[in-house]
Amino acid sequence: MSDCIIETRGLTKRYGEQVSVSDLDLHVRKGRIYGLLGRNGAGKTTTMKMLLGLTAPTSGTVSLFGRPLKGNEKHILPRIGSLIESPGFYPNLTGTENLQIFARLRGLQSPNYIKGALELVNLPYRDRKRYAQYSLGMKQRLAIALAVMHDPELLILDEPINGLDPIGIAEVRDFIRALCDERGKTILISSHILSEIALLADDIGIIDHGILLEEESLRELEAKNEKILRFTVSNAPVAAQLLKGEMGVRDVTVESDRELTVRDLRLDTGAAVRRFVEAGLVVSDAHLYEDTLEDYFKRITGGEGIA
Amino acid sequence: MRNLLRCEFAKLRRKPLFFAAAAVSALIPLGCALFLPDFQEFASGAEAVDGMMSTLFQMSAYLLLMPALVVLAANLLFEEQDNDTLKNLMTVPVSKSALAMAKMALLLLFSIAFMAVGGLVILLIVLAAGWEPVGFLRLFFVGIGQGIMMWAGALPCILLVVLLNRSYIVSVIVTFFYTSVNYIFGLNDLFITQPFGLNLGTLLPGPLTFRWYFQYLDFSNAGAEMLGLLERVSPYFVTTAQAFLVTGAEAAVFLALIALVYKRQGV
Repeated sequence: MSDCIIETRGLTKRYGEQVSVSDLDLHVRKGRIYGLLGRNGAGKTTTMKMLLGLTAPTSGTVSLFGRPLKGNEKHILPRIGSLIESPGFYPNLTGTENLQIFARLRGLQSPNYIKGALELVNLPYRDRKRYAQYSLGMKQRLAIALAVMHDPELLILDEPINGLDPIGIAEVRDFIRALCDERGKTILISSHILSEIALLADDIGIIDHGILLEEESLRELEAKNEKILRFTVSNAPVAAQLLKGEMGVRDVTVESDRELTVRDLRLDTGAAVRRFVEAGLVVSDAHLYEDTLEDYFKRITGGEGIA
Repeated sequence: MRNLLRCEFAKLRRKPLFFAAAAVSALIPLGCALFLPDFQEFASGAEAVDGMMSTLFQMSAYLLLMPALVVLAANLLFEEQDNDTLKNLMTVPVSKSALAMAKMALLLLFSIAFMAVGGLVILLIVLAAGWEPVGFLRLFFVGIGQGIMMWAGALPCILLVVLLNRSYIVSVIVTFFYTSVNYIFGLNDLFITQPFGLNLGTLLPGPLTFRWYFQYLDFSNAGAEMLGLLERVSPYFVTTAQAFLVTGAEAAVFLALIALVYKRQGV
């Protein structure tokens, strides 16, 4: 993939005997939102830390913007905005004062950078409230403001909706979507909340026990999801006989006296219902069921749901 | 580096510990002036300046400045870990070595400010008592020099604190021990009567500083005990160049070690 902003090869991180991330090949394409999905402790944060040079990989390489991160940190890191784990700021300073410190270090002269970033996350500029007095949601918003303040090309956001209320979550989601759609930012976002990733991401990587199990676009993933047509009729075995014998449908399963499922989606549902009625059967329900991302996640991680 | 230092100053906002520590430098001169009978019996401005400044050099610098520097260093060096801000700084990117150096530079300025505040308080006391501050300026700059030497002298202890990483109780014990040793050695004939060279009397900040500032005090009205000490120590006085050569070399070594250890500690 030539248009990758982030590319890792065989990225591995071991802490003694414990393997936190194993042989990870990650590809984040330009101008897209990549959702890194995994349970708590799956290796999402460690992966992001390695992408930012905060943790050295045990083996493997990280390339950002087409250049290896190692040795190019001074050129690459200023192009990235990040939020890793919990927000971290100086408790004795206000939100604005905290951002002023980082703005100075980033060489941002104009106060408009700070003002604009705070406006984006709905926090007041030059408020007197100290960071120590902030709510969890406000802290998270300030961390997002810090990540976007210098208008980076790439955003690496580790669980950015943690601590936000439902309205805040929706706002941040819209804001992240807009950053990608309107300003062409590339965004790598991690979460253990499937619904959020499903609503936000263009591409999805599923990580479990440090291993990247799947990496695909949401559209491809949806296409892979299992779809089932389920009928509720007065006599399921008779209906199954009609489908197999007269309509040539093969993949029919009688689930109970009244229920049957069909996995062959070429079946014309209308024609099937008409034939059931003609045969004197009562059709109570005909429904197309589709796997959710969670079902898919369960299937490929071979375990329980995520959240 | 200048930006980092300015940021270190910005982080001090609403942090009373730092300003309280600087204000402590006024305590001993004020206390002595108000409560010690000797201090109310000076015959002249020169004697008052000399007597009070020597208290600043011997008491404030050794017993207050040295431990204050180490405690503040622990506060500064661990605030990034405590507040989880290191990851934000590293992704700017800011190098950990540069960050550690900015913090040490801040401590150097604090040390100078501590001695300057102490000196200025003494000046105010002298003026308020109606004396002419004869010889003040020279001793004021000796005080500044001693502040720099105390800062360099505190660096080995700061290195230990960094090595112990977050163990505040052990840091306090180490600080107490180091301060006591320096104070005792700084007054002990065994150490202050050693020639300039590779020996504890030269390498330890306590004896070295004493052998430097002591020559600048006025002994024209000194008692027999003080004159005896002067006679014993004067052959071993170090010049300003020698004192700052040792201070500079020690500072360079320990700053490099502090930067190295701080850098190796995880985010």
